[in-house]
Amino acid sequence: MNLKRIFILLGKELIYSSKSFLFIWILVAPIFVTLLFSLVFGTLFREKPRLGIFDLGTSQLVEMAKTTDSLSLKLYNNHVDLKKAVEKGVIDFGLILPPDYDNSLITGERVELQVYTWGQSLAKNRMILGVTIANLSRKISGIESPLKIETITLGDTKSIPWEDRILPFIVLMAVFLGGVFLPATSLIEEKNKGTIQAVIVTPITTAEIIIAKGSLGVILSMLMGIIILFLNNAFGNQPLLLLTLLLLGAIMAATISLMLGTLIKDFTTLFSVWKSGGILLFFPALAYIFPQIPQWLSKLFPTYYLITPIVEVIQKGAGWQEAWLNMTVLSGVDVLLIVILLVIIKVKNPFTA
Amino acid sequence: MINFHIIKTLVAKELKLFMKNRFFALITVLGMFFYILVYFLMPKTVNETLKLGIYAPTIPPILEQFQGEGLKLDSFDSEEKLKNAVLQGKVSAGIAFPVDFMKIIATGERPTLKLFILSNLPSEVKSAVELMLNELILMQTGHPLSVEVKQEILGYDMLGKQIPPRKLIIPLLAFILILTEGWGLATLIAEEIEKKTIQALLVTPITIRDIFIAKGITGTALAFIQVTFFLIITGGLSKEPLLILTTLMMGAIMITGFSFLIGSVAKDFMSVLGWGIIMFFGMSFPSFNILFPGAIITDWIKLIPSYYLVETIYRVINYGYGWKEVWLYLIYILAFSIGLLLLGTLSLRRRFQ
Repeated sequence: MNLKRIFILLGKELIYSSKSFLFIWILVAPIFVTLLFSLVFGTLFREKPRLGIFDLGTSQLVEMAKTTDSLSLKLYNNHVDLKKAVEKGVIDFGLILPPDYDNSLITGERVELQVYTWGQSLAKNRMILGVTIANLSRKISGIESPLKIETITLGDTKSIPWEDRILPFIVLMAVFLGGVFLPATSLIEEKNKGTIQAVIVTPITTAEIIIAKGSLGVILSMLMGIIILFLNNAFGNQPLLLLTLLLLGAIMAATISLMLGTLIKDFTTLFSVWKSGGILLFFPALAYIFPQIPQWLSKLFPTYYLITPIVEVIQKGAGWQEAWLNMTVLSGVDVLLIVILLVIIKVKNPFTA
Repeated sequence: MINFHIIKTLVAKELKLFMKNRFFALITVLGMFFYILVYFLMPKTVNETLKLGIYAPTIPPILEQFQGEGLKLDSFDSEEKLKNAVLQGKVSAGIAFPVDFMKIIATGERPTLKLFILSNLPSEVKSAVELMLNELILMQTGHPLSVEVKQEILGYDMLGKQIPPRKLIIPLLAFILILTEGWGLATLIAEEIEKKTIQALLVTPITIRDIFIAKGITGTALAFIQVTFFLIITGGLSKEPLLILTTLMMGAIMITGFSFLIGSVAKDFMSVLGWGIIMFFGMSFPSFNILFPGAIITDWIKLIPSYYLVETIYRVINYGYGWKEVWLYLIYILAFSIGLLLLGTLSLRRRFQ
């Protein structure tokens, strides 16, 4: 094996691959998904009841609602927009505050509140919003809290916000999209065009080709993983550990890709494998998003051993000591996949004309 | 003149090739299995009630009145049992009233209530429980609020009959199945163009029209069969099966039209992938609007052809809509399907002439 030849091949791979649409898409897709999930679904998944207010006067209730933790608030400038927002489910409650609402409360004068309720709003959200509006109104009318509450916290688990729940999915997509697609498509294309047969009649060996193509997958996969973690402010206190985990994940992605590229003859089949087999890779992330899915099932999927330590490091501040077991399994999976790849190459000898 | 015998032969050839490729067939079955698995792993109920535990040596009379839609109160014999219920997740939070609660209230003093919460309880729930307790005591001590609420429910009132995520995801999964099949068809077309097999066929009595019709039938049939099977298993055909099947058939035709368009502009697998991803994200957007109501508030979504398709499936499955209610949507789908198929066919024809 000649390192110089591997680097030359890798350089060529990088130059030619970077010109393809796929390469650009691999770079763009995880960033696009991160933005989409963070901006749209990240805020949407929040379980807080959503209140919309159109204030015809200058009620204190608006300012008080802004600082209330039991709801998320959206303000509207007119009646039509408020009603439309309720109809579309943007908010659970649409509240119209009359011009002299605060004074009416203070003087005890009877006041009418118009509330629009979204038909699909959950019963508990309606109840929470109703109670919150009543409570804030009481505060305005000058009634003090009639009780003291002593809060006792039990257990030591933390609530996981939706923004954090989607992180494993985004990380997996970043690592596996490039890692799986690029080396495989490159191999298939070269096999179909016959260029690989031309290359192996030169002193370049099959192993060198495989290493060069696999290295490109690993580099791209890791690069995307790093970008995504940076974009999500998730590098935390253990950058070296995270880099190691990303490297192991990237090796897994690239090895799977090389196996596919070696076995598969055309893009259609590769696409079908991705379409159906992709869920095998993403299942642990899906289970993380929806805790209702039995969590033990995730352990049957190799990517579990990648996302679990990453999540623990980012969200729970875990270190090498906590991550070593999952890392060992992950390394074992990588070694096993590499062995399978070597066997496939030896048995199938796919690059001979 | 359409030659049905040739079309039949071509369709048979396409299907035979599909079935002959055991791997391809296996992967398709496996993919279907995972789509069904995802469906069954999704929650089948919606928890719209906030469940609280209460320990009250003297139960305040207002407690019973306070219970209703959105709130369920479970009583416990001791503080210890209440704590255990919180720890075991049987209730969202536990409230322990002091022994002489009623006496304290009667003297006008502020009683201290203990609120037991799990450390992972979202802050909005904690805040909501505190507000509720305040409201409860104010009601008990006779502090009426001089506010009259005029409530209007917008849209279907789903209180007590919320649609579970399992049912919400059906239109998305069904549409993804059709979309991916369409993507596959576009790949097949691009591959035939790349390998010049279409040109080879054209030197026989087979016409371009025969090829397009055969490919269209194959693609539509494959997508339609898969999605029908998926809906049978998931119970999506339990209401108005003929209406659902008609909608899906038109959807499959619509996506076939899209595939033709992609096949006509794409030079190779990479460009199919690129254009396909744009189609995939664009067309699946309306499905997300169903899964996450309120996420996409723009009316532009109605310009996406798939909007009418997924909305029809969603409304028929979950709201029991019939032909009378969705006929206009069906006309839109039909118009889009025919339009796209014609556009796709013309575009492909232009490429060969």
